[in-house]
Amino acid sequence: MNPDLKSLYRDTLLKHSREPRNRNPLPDATATAKLKNPLCGDLVSVHLKSENDRITQISFEAQCCSICMASASMLTEKIIGTPRQEAQIFATSLIDMISDPETEMSLPNNDLNALSGVKEFPSRTRCATLPWEALLAALTGRMKSEG
Amino acid sequence: MNDIQSPPTIPESLIRARDDFPILKREINGKPLVYLDNAASTQKPQSVIDAVTRYYSNENANIHRGVHLLSQEATAAYEAARGKLARYLNASDDSEIIFTRGATESVNLIAHSFVEPLLKRGDEILITHMEHHANIVPWQLLCERTGAVLKVAPIFDNGDLDIEAYLSMIGPKTKLAAAVHVSNAIGTVNPIETIIQAAKAKGVPTLIDVAQSIQHIELDVQALDCDFLIFSGQKIFSPTGIGGLYGRRSLLDGMRPYQGGGDMIAHVSFDGTTYKEPPSRFEAGTPHIAGGIGLGIAIDYIQSIGRNVIHDYESQLIEYAANRLKNAPGVQLVGDPTHRSGAISFTMDNAHPHDIGTILDTEGIAIRSGHHCCEPLMTRYGISSTARVSIALYNTHEDIDALISSLDKVNALFG
Repeated sequence: MNPDLKSLYRDTLLKHSREPRNRNPLPDATATAKLKNPLCGDLVSVHLKSENDRITQISFEAQCCSICMASASMLTEKIIGTPRQEAQIFATSLIDMISDPETEMSLPNNDLNALSGVKEFPSRTRCATLPWEALLAALTGRMKSEG
Repeated sequence: MNDIQSPPTIPESLIRARDDFPILKREINGKPLVYLDNAASTQKPQSVIDAVTRYYSNENANIHRGVHLLSQEATAAYEAARGKLARYLNASDDSEIIFTRGATESVNLIAHSFVEPLLKRGDEILITHMEHHANIVPWQLLCERTGAVLKVAPIFDNGDLDIEAYLSMIGPKTKLAAAVHVSNAIGTVNPIETIIQAAKAKGVPTLIDVAQSIQHIELDVQALDCDFLIFSGQKIFSPTGIGGLYGRRSLLDGMRPYQGGGDMIAHVSFDGTTYKEPPSRFEAGTPHIAGGIGLGIAIDYIQSIGRNVIHDYESQLIEYAANRLKNAPGVQLVGDPTHRSGAISFTMDNAHPHDIGTILDTEGIAIRSGHHCCEPLMTRYGISSTARVSIALYNTHEDIDALISSLDKVNALFG
């Protein structure tokens, strides 16, 4: 079977990777987490600012592939304005959704569905989940040992 | 001499080499496999696969400890492989070849058994900026334990070692001068003869990582006059999980064991244990017998073609590949060393190496993308990863042409 490149590199994903949203430092961040994929050396930092348990600002910095870049860009758009606890629950479930090849991704009206193409490319799954893992690390203050 | 843009002619003894490697008949994603990830692991010829099968089907027994026929046959086959390696490297005695799990374990063995007892706080171990993590991290761990200092010789932008700097860093505190022969990440061939001679003149022992050169370049440990060479079998057509080191016998004799256990002892009692002579002293426990036998057959395979034939052909093919890549749209080589062997790293304007790797994979082309276990080298170039093409004797210019054509698809998607 020939995994479908078009399914991996959907227009939405390419759009976010070429013109990522909120890719900048956040000088007054209240939490930040930097994660590295030791397999390829890709680096993602997620910065966020919380007020009253709600994420009011979020940005990222990255040296990474298109999938990771797009995922991080979409993450910032999805998560801004979200209560911290809700963001944590969403990130956890999204990582599970991306990682499980059997689960269909059907988030209503959501660019994030474009990430489902990685399911046909198991070696690229981590590229999509890395920013979300960084978000969780920033929210919980727990860094993975490889971070 | 070929024009640099014209493909090399395959020599007579390599024309049918592809047929010797059954995996090369495989299709990937409906396309014929183009395998260009040989610096990570080479494919295995049928003769090696058959040797492993034959061992498990016909000879399987533990070695060095049975009086029965199977054990004798297994022992003879395993020790014959040691002898083949010794002759391949022109070691003066079979006992100078120690089997390990691979190059990584070989470095760790030398660090523990040879270098550590020599070290005082403030002593130095010298390496280059282009080492594989396997020739960095064991020394960092050793420095943490002993208070020794790891010194790193710089490289130039083109990927050449700054040899003058390296030589000037060999000083009175240097207890080991180590260097990679051929960079796995960017293909630089280092002047190991110069390094060894200069270190020897100052009484400093040498370790050369030949993991990437042993399959491409003829090595003669007596002519080189080196103290240690380290290598992996899997990069020279043998099974994974086997490799080894060459060590000068006079040094091996004075070295403490690496791991303790069966097969490395002369006598064990609770009052004190004595150890065997090299190589057994450094080979505790049951080794990867099938792997060792397979490695011996892999050496036979290379010898049957001739190392000079392989070297000449591969030198032309890698130069052809480098020139095609230099002229490919959107491609930049990472390092353009004066002398290159085996590997080429590159990046592209708009596509990350991981994306390049995925797109090429859908075309049946296997390359490596990442930091190639050389993070300090990547940092030196201000990047986190590259796409790497690495060749072996079975690759042809058609493989390189397929790679170049497929890079158009990368440009079409990301350009």
